[in-house]
Amino acid sequence: MNDRVRRVIAHVDMDAFYVSVELQRRPELRGRPVVVAGTGPRAVVTTASYEARRFGIFSATPAERARRLCPGAVFIPPDFDLYRARSREVMAILREHVDRVEVVGLDEAYLDLSGLERPKAAARRVKSAVKGEAGLGCSIGIGPNKLVAKVASDAEKPDGFVVLSREQACRRFADSSPGLIPGIGPKTVERLRAHGIETLGRLAATPERMLAATFGDRLGPHLARLARFEDERSIETVRVAKSESRETTFDADLHGLEALEPVIDRLAEQLCETLVRQERMGRTIGIKVRLDDFSTHTRARTREAATNDFEVVRSVARDLLRRFDPGRPVRLLGVRVAGLDEAVAGGPPAAVDQLELTL
Amino acid sequence: MKIDLEKSSFLSALGIAVRGVSTRSAVQTLAGVMLKVDGGQLELQATDLELGVRARVDVNVDRDGSAVVPGRLLLDVVRSLPGDRATLEYRSSQGDVEVVSGPARFHLRTLPAEEFPRLPEAGDASVVKLPAESFVETVNRVARAASRDETRPHLTGVLVSASERQLRMVATDSYRLSVKETPLDAPVEGSLEANVPARTLQELGRITSSTQPEEIAIASLEHQVIFSSGGVALSSRLVEGRFPNYQQLLPESFEHQLRISTPELLEVVRRISLLAQKNAPLRMRFSEGTLDVSAQTPDIGEATESLPVPFKGEQLEIGFNPDFLREGLESAESEEVTLKLISPLRPGLIEASGDGPGSFMYLVMPIRLNV
Repeated sequence: MNDRVRRVIAHVDMDAFYVSVELQRRPELRGRPVVVAGTGPRAVVTTASYEARRFGIFSATPAERARRLCPGAVFIPPDFDLYRARSREVMAILREHVDRVEVVGLDEAYLDLSGLERPKAAARRVKSAVKGEAGLGCSIGIGPNKLVAKVASDAEKPDGFVVLSREQACRRFADSSPGLIPGIGPKTVERLRAHGIETLGRLAATPERMLAATFGDRLGPHLARLARFEDERSIETVRVAKSESRETTFDADLHGLEALEPVIDRLAEQLCETLVRQERMGRTIGIKVRLDDFSTHTRARTREAATNDFEVVRSVARDLLRRFDPGRPVRLLGVRVAGLDEAVAGGPPAAVDQLELTL
Repeated sequence: MKIDLEKSSFLSALGIAVRGVSTRSAVQTLAGVMLKVDGGQLELQATDLELGVRARVDVNVDRDGSAVVPGRLLLDVVRSLPGDRATLEYRSSQGDVEVVSGPARFHLRTLPAEEFPRLPEAGDASVVKLPAESFVETVNRVARAASRDETRPHLTGVLVSASERQLRMVATDSYRLSVKETPLDAPVEGSLEANVPARTLQELGRITSSTQPEEIAIASLEHQVIFSSGGVALSSRLVEGRFPNYQQLLPESFEHQLRISTPELLEVVRRISLLAQKNAPLRMRFSEGTLDVSAQTPDIGEATESLPVPFKGEQLEIGFNPDFLREGLESAESEEVTLKLISPLRPGLIEASGDGPGSFMYLVMPIRLNV
């Protein structure tokens, strides 16, 4: 891309996507609180209609709690095949209008509008096309980078259309919590608060040096850049997932390695099947453990050679679990293989061509 | 437990002990430092179960006893104290340790002491004493070649052996093999052969750089080893499994032997490696009198540079992992190296020609080049 062309990025975020898709086939539910959630005892809400959100029901709210908050809500089990099909339809509409589209989930995408004569008008056309052709509402945020666009798309949901420069974003969200920024999670928010930093404005005004001292040389300056809404990431039109994982939440907490190891094996097997089918390999193998106190722990190990071999993934995952040795009941267990793109993009001399000594 | 201590000496012992603290264990107590007061001395202990540190420091004792306190927190607290001295008191009824220095007063909740593991003791194990400087220097030359791949635990160690007037360390991750032999001024009493985790030895290097001891005493137990020097003891489990028979890996003869200036080659390697990304090899093409070093990464770019070398005979092109090659040259630590080669798919050997024959050898396996 030409450097002189000013970057204009739009973020398209579908409004309550799963619920909206469901409402199309069950229009009689329009206007009522509708919740898409699984049915198991530990299921969480995937999407809530805006009517349901008024009762305090949001994504990731435990389904059981949602039922208590709004006993009159209609609960619908998720139908991901349908959502994927509708998502492809929406993304196709986006591509009809814009050349460079990066799909980042079933219900969101970035558009590169740089170089267009009238980028805002193009984005409005996209919005009305999605409404007209797919019958679904979306919110669009426009900014000089992905971060501004993403936050802007969320600012006036649903049916939002917000255009912000970086400076405007800084001013508009100066009083907001740092947690507003994707990438600043609850733990970081908590740590920032412990240092008296409760707003984005305050974070942006904190010298990088101080942040580096508290959060390290990488995370510290990164937080400062985020607070200033600086973001250099470019639009990746072909998106290759860098990791693949399988996880499961137990209906009843499991305790002890004997109970957990078979689960690790099963997750590793499912995961490796997928990787083998996709002909992908990764170097980093990790586990995720959520304990009964809801604390989540991850452990990972990077090997010298990439793998998608079940035996290898299983033995590393088991070993990580043994070393972590959760002393408490376990709620959720996951297995992950990361660093996938390296093996794919490596093309030529991957690690396989490195010869070994015969020990 | 009640003690009165001098801040600076306590702080340096605590700084060492905290290196043993586990930050990632599910066992909460391991994030703590055990303070143990007995017979006029304070001993600080910390362990992550693989590695254990004990550091002794002189204090004025009011009352013997022990307590486990969060390690990093105690370090931060003591470092920030306003006075030069402080008192520490374990208050069993409150379950905390009170730290008082001048007008500042802290109460730190203790961790369960009964869960804190016992660190191994040397007892009557055989002990070998070695000069600290030679030991650490030898570690620094080979430890990088040890494997960091924990799925191959037997390669994560360094084989340490000492007898007569020689100290030798060997490490390999199966892609390269590093052997350093260091002559000793005085003969060793007894002998030593142990496969020690590379991480332990690197930690030992960090500790001795602050304590600057003359000597390190090494006690070998059945599954453990203990390094003691200047009031600090570092214990570690030994690596399980046999260290590979490395001698059989060294080829008996080579086709080519080239003496090359180390800094010159190292600079070229460092420069050209910038364009050997994403597992791309560093290509070395030898022809009459010249070495062309090149690298190419798809979608990124390529680089090439040549330097004169005393190469004779038919052209030879061989590929190496740029990091492996660079680390070998760096570890040689001599003005000149002898580079020995056989053929593109056989190992290459870097020998330091500076300080006597056979003193440093670094065998490195090539990367197969797809022409």
